[in-house]
Amino acid sequence: MKRSLLIVSVVAAVFVIVAFLVGGRALVLEGFNISINSATQSALMLFASFIVIGQIQVLLTKEMLDRWFKRSSGIKGIVVSAVAGGLFPGGPYIYFPFVASFAEKGLPFYVLIAFLLGKNTYDFARFPMEASLIAPNIAIIRNLITLPVPIIIGLLAKRYFGNKTIENVLGQAGETDATNDRSP
Amino acid sequence: MLQTTVALSIVAVILIMVNAKLSGRHMEGLKAGLKQALLSIPLIIVAFILAGMLEVLIPREFVQSWLSREAGLKGIVLGTFGGMLLAVGPYASFPIIASIWASGAGLGTVVAILTGWALLGLDKAPFETAFFGTKFYVYKWGVSALFCLGAGFIAHVLELVLLSR
Repeated sequence: MKRSLLIVSVVAAVFVIVAFLVGGRALVLEGFNISINSATQSALMLFASFIVIGQIQVLLTKEMLDRWFKRSSGIKGIVVSAVAGGLFPGGPYIYFPFVASFAEKGLPFYVLIAFLLGKNTYDFARFPMEASLIAPNIAIIRNLITLPVPIIIGLLAKRYFGNKTIENVLGQAGETDATNDRSP
Repeated sequence: MLQTTVALSIVAVILIMVNAKLSGRHMEGLKAGLKQALLSIPLIIVAFILAGMLEVLIPREFVQSWLSREAGLKGIVLGTFGGMLLAVGPYASFPIIASIWASGAGLGTVVAILTGWALLGLDKAPFETAFFGTKFYVYKWGVSALFCLGAGFIAHVLELVLLSR
């Protein structure tokens, strides 16, 4: 979060200077007006979004997702993994160690790729932000269009690699050892 | 905007009730949400400032020829790779994407940016390579890029079909 804040602050500062050089104080003020209007309009939605995000974080425990993973295989496993990925809270520093721990337990590659892409594509906790900060109709259209992506990629992985583990598929035993160094 | 606020508020209330009944940890959820909000507010404010500046600075001609519905495939390709380069979290990137949409970008371009950001985002690259290796990253990138372009194309066609009615 701090890294993002730093990057965006620097870029925003550069753009404020550019706006000043291009159109003077008037253009900078016009930009700030747009920012204030957008922020004001989104404030209530953001408030509700954070309540939703907090509740989802507490409601879905790692143990619950753990159980889902172990119970499923085949096409059902792909769908369950993709949905579990979408439900899994937290950023990459949380979900990568989680996935890597399953890779070490020998779960098939197709299950792991479906989970990772489910997280990237669905991320249900992100939806309220997507709807409130961009537009509800765009968020719905984007999610509907990309809905099959993790499942299709999971099916392709199952078709080509069967029940092979990630190490069998990529032939990179040992690389997942990085997990232990990165665990939060 | 009002409808979305109402819908989200209803979902929030339902989740609080479900959480209270199932786990009794609804207050913990509220605290988690508040903590997340407090952590994110500075970033959201700066992102809104950046989005406002982008909206007044992006030349109309650029949007028209590169990002609009008329730009077609150009916009989708540019959107996919633009989304990949937008290597910051949702709180920072969504207001920027909203400003690109407000500037007149096409639906295909915006969906390609969002999908490119979600699937190809460079912020995930260090984790993917560290945990699963460069080969995994390259394969995932190649397959995902095709899906981003496809998603943008479907959205573009959808926009053309909807507007032709």
